[in-house]
Amino acid sequence: MQAIIEAIAEPRRREILRLVRATELPAGAIAAHFDDVTRPAVSQHLRTLREAGLVAERRDGTRRLYRARPEGLAGLREFLDGFWDERLDALRREAEIEERRPGGRGGGN
Amino acid sequence: MAEAVGTEQIVKEIQIGASPETVFGFFTEPDKLVRWLCSEATVDPRPGGVCRQTHYADDGAGPYLMRGEYVEVVPPSRVVFTWGWEGSDMNTPPGSTTVEVTLEQDDAGTRLTLVHRDLPEPARDGHDSGWVHKLERLAVAATGGDPEAR
Repeated sequence: MQAIIEAIAEPRRREILRLVRATELPAGAIAAHFDDVTRPAVSQHLRTLREAGLVAERRDGTRRLYRARPEGLAGLREFLDGFWDERLDALRREAEIEERRPGGRGGGN
Repeated sequence: MAEAVGTEQIVKEIQIGASPETVFGFFTEPDKLVRWLCSEATVDPRPGGVCRQTHYADDGAGPYLMRGEYVEVVPPSRVVFTWGWEGSDMNTPPGSTTVEVTLEQDDAGTRLTLVHRDLPEPARDGHDSGWVHKLERLAVAATGGDPEAR
């Protein structure tokens, strides 16, 4: 998705993904990791990541906890798996028709 | 070919009752590509040549533009091209994945093996660093434009 590509194009957002890939962290702890990024900017990054499906947000009382969602990138394999099954079936059909065609193109003269 | 460690791939094998010569043309000739793979094709089947395809989903959604480049063209046994969607909702920018097709003659005609590799699928079961690595690669492809261009 375009949203995913845009989300990970920003180095700080990739850094955030690294921080939360194995541990769930509150926004404050994530912001504390950066010297040069304001808390609102970190919130904005988290929002972008969440909207791209790359992080999950969970509320715990007043805190919001974040963790990476590697499955945010899933789905492509399933899509392509079905895509190639379907297309290769069509290829077989068309190639076999082509093969039987009288005087079918034999790959040039 | 660089073999990226831990990247996902799809492998398909089919049997076709046609010669490898016949099947090969379906990967390199626009009028044959549109019979099975896509709606429109613009191709220059030689290493470095373009392989552009316009696709529509079964429900009519699209167009989805596939922009690739031929890497190997060895009639009638092997064709390799890069594969990526341009500005669509698939997270595979142009140049980011590769399709390798091998055609072997056998008694029934042709045994076709298709390997679609370098897919940006997250590694499963705790291969987290692999996942971040893939994100990095995607990010490079996304921000640096097309790594395969010219």
